[in-house]
Amino acid sequence: MKVDQLIDLFREEFPRSSSELKHTWAVFWANFKIFLSYRTWVITETLSTVASIAMYFFMGLQVDANRFISAGYGDVTWLAFAIVGVSTANYLWMCISRISHSLQHEVSEGTLEPIVSSMIKLRSYIIGQSIRGFIVSSYFMVGTMLIGILVLKAPLIVTVETLLSFIVILVMMIVSYAGIGIMAAGIILVYKKGDPMTFLLASITEFLGGVLFPLNYLQSYPILYGLAWVMPYTYALDAARRVLLTGATLASPLVLYNFAVLVLFTLVFMPIGLRTFKWGMDRIRREGTVATY
Amino acid sequence: MEYAVETFQLTKTFESKEKGQKRVVRAVDQVDIKVKKGEFFGLLGPNGAGKTTLIKILCTIILPDQGTAKINGYDILKQPYEARNSFGWFHGETGGRSLYWRLNAEDNLRFYAYLQNVPKDIAEKRIKALLEFFDLSEDRKKLVKEYSTGMKVRVMLARALLHNPPILFMDEPTIGLDTISAVDTRKLLQALNTQLGKTIIFTSHNMFEVEQLCDRVAIMRKGKIIADSSPSQLREMLRDIRAVEVEVKESSDLQKIAEKLANTPAVKKILDTTNNAHTHIIRLQVENEYEAIPEIAEKIKSLGIKVSAIRQSEPSFEDIFVKLARGEEQP
Repeated sequence: MKVDQLIDLFREEFPRSSSELKHTWAVFWANFKIFLSYRTWVITETLSTVASIAMYFFMGLQVDANRFISAGYGDVTWLAFAIVGVSTANYLWMCISRISHSLQHEVSEGTLEPIVSSMIKLRSYIIGQSIRGFIVSSYFMVGTMLIGILVLKAPLIVTVETLLSFIVILVMMIVSYAGIGIMAAGIILVYKKGDPMTFLLASITEFLGGVLFPLNYLQSYPILYGLAWVMPYTYALDAARRVLLTGATLASPLVLYNFAVLVLFTLVFMPIGLRTFKWGMDRIRREGTVATY
Repeated sequence: MEYAVETFQLTKTFESKEKGQKRVVRAVDQVDIKVKKGEFFGLLGPNGAGKTTLIKILCTIILPDQGTAKINGYDILKQPYEARNSFGWFHGETGGRSLYWRLNAEDNLRFYAYLQNVPKDIAEKRIKALLEFFDLSEDRKKLVKEYSTGMKVRVMLARALLHNPPILFMDEPTIGLDTISAVDTRKLLQALNTQLGKTIIFTSHNMFEVEQLCDRVAIMRKGKIIADSSPSQLREMLRDIRAVEVEVKESSDLQKIAEKLANTPAVKKILDTTNNAHTHIIRLQVENEYEAIPEIAEKIKSLGIKVSAIRQSEPSFEDIFVKLARGEEQP
């Protein structure tokens, strides 16, 4: 290719119309391809998930089943109870930490600078990254569920109605936490070290949300029990368990109540998250640390 | 007149901590520049002069503390998206860090084509042509992490050009390139400027290419623009630099010979020495070359140095740059 030929090609004029959908797709597509290039990570994560499920199976043999009945989840095994908890918790944190993790990577590799100077709006970037996070996390969640149901015979109630209700709750859970994830990403942009913070938040949520034990165990500790119910995850997990363990649907009053609380959390956290993210972006643009290579 | 790039008292200060002490660096200091549409504009300065910060502010990556700028008529603070639609940015100093190393060259370019709203069919055509031009066609499916620095730089150059913007910010575009790629890149930039009328803001440490390409040159020092004119006018500004060139036959101890010649009363100082396989040259700054040449010849004779030539020397563009950048002369 000669210079003149290239110049001729650049003589062509064309309209360039901006499309946020295309931008979102581009971020998802590029990042998903990058994810697929980490084959070893995918394999080791899959193996580690399988190992965790096997561990829960044996732990379940030690647990008193009456606690689940009193918590309103019916006569279920601990394994079924834990499978719902573990799969939703992992799903949540993979989705949420994905945005901040990707951003940290983009800053340290210098790939955020050309993005900032391009035509993409930051909300398209966030949505694109989030969709990638949802899809990658879904792989692990579905895998956990399938091993639980098919291999370990966890008695989850899977019908069209419960499955649809579960998906809606799951989406709402992610949306209600997206504000927190975006907020964490904004803070991580500025302070560059975020993993300990998200890890702490994840551990607290898993503990207080009752991933591995029914929350009525916490009733003897009123402060912890009270704290548990100020986290959106507790409501999402309660709804998910009612659906998959007792066969309730979105139309059931308790599930609907949990769903409404998640909507409320979304309305509170989303604007705070977006504002914090904008603050973080503006701050690194002021400090000149959009890239730190 | 509508300018491609116009800055208004643009100022940027960075704060850092060194041994517990707060240090304030004014990276860009009340910069006012105007670059006409279609101009090939060189921005020079030593490392740390503020060139890259200035370019990053113009590319909306860094926010200024004071002042603003217009890119293609759009205010970078009030209309950043419109401004971004008007330029392509290349930053050679990253050495390919700003690419996705786990994607191949084609996918890296596709990603930016999407972000820059280039229609798919046009994007594919351009990606193919640009990869061919930059000699990357054969390696287009390889992950960028397997590329050499020069190859990564070429992908980054292709990325800056992909959406065919009217303004190009080329921050050291030939850094890390081999000689042939550097020549091709210079030819392409020149053609984009002369044939398509693109405005190019160009930085380089290679004075030869600056002189060859730029219509106008601004020199930055400590965040300020200290000179702004054509390369020939810059030469004119420092016409009082007088130099004598001594071509030595033997290459051993060229620096020592230079130091001995510098003791001659007519010599002000050593400008530079060139010592390679075929050329051994000492350049000396003098008060008056006509008086200096016989004196230097006498010294050479007394020292028994074998020389092939002593001649008057024009100050190079590099001499001018060094003199201005060091603050030895305010034009």
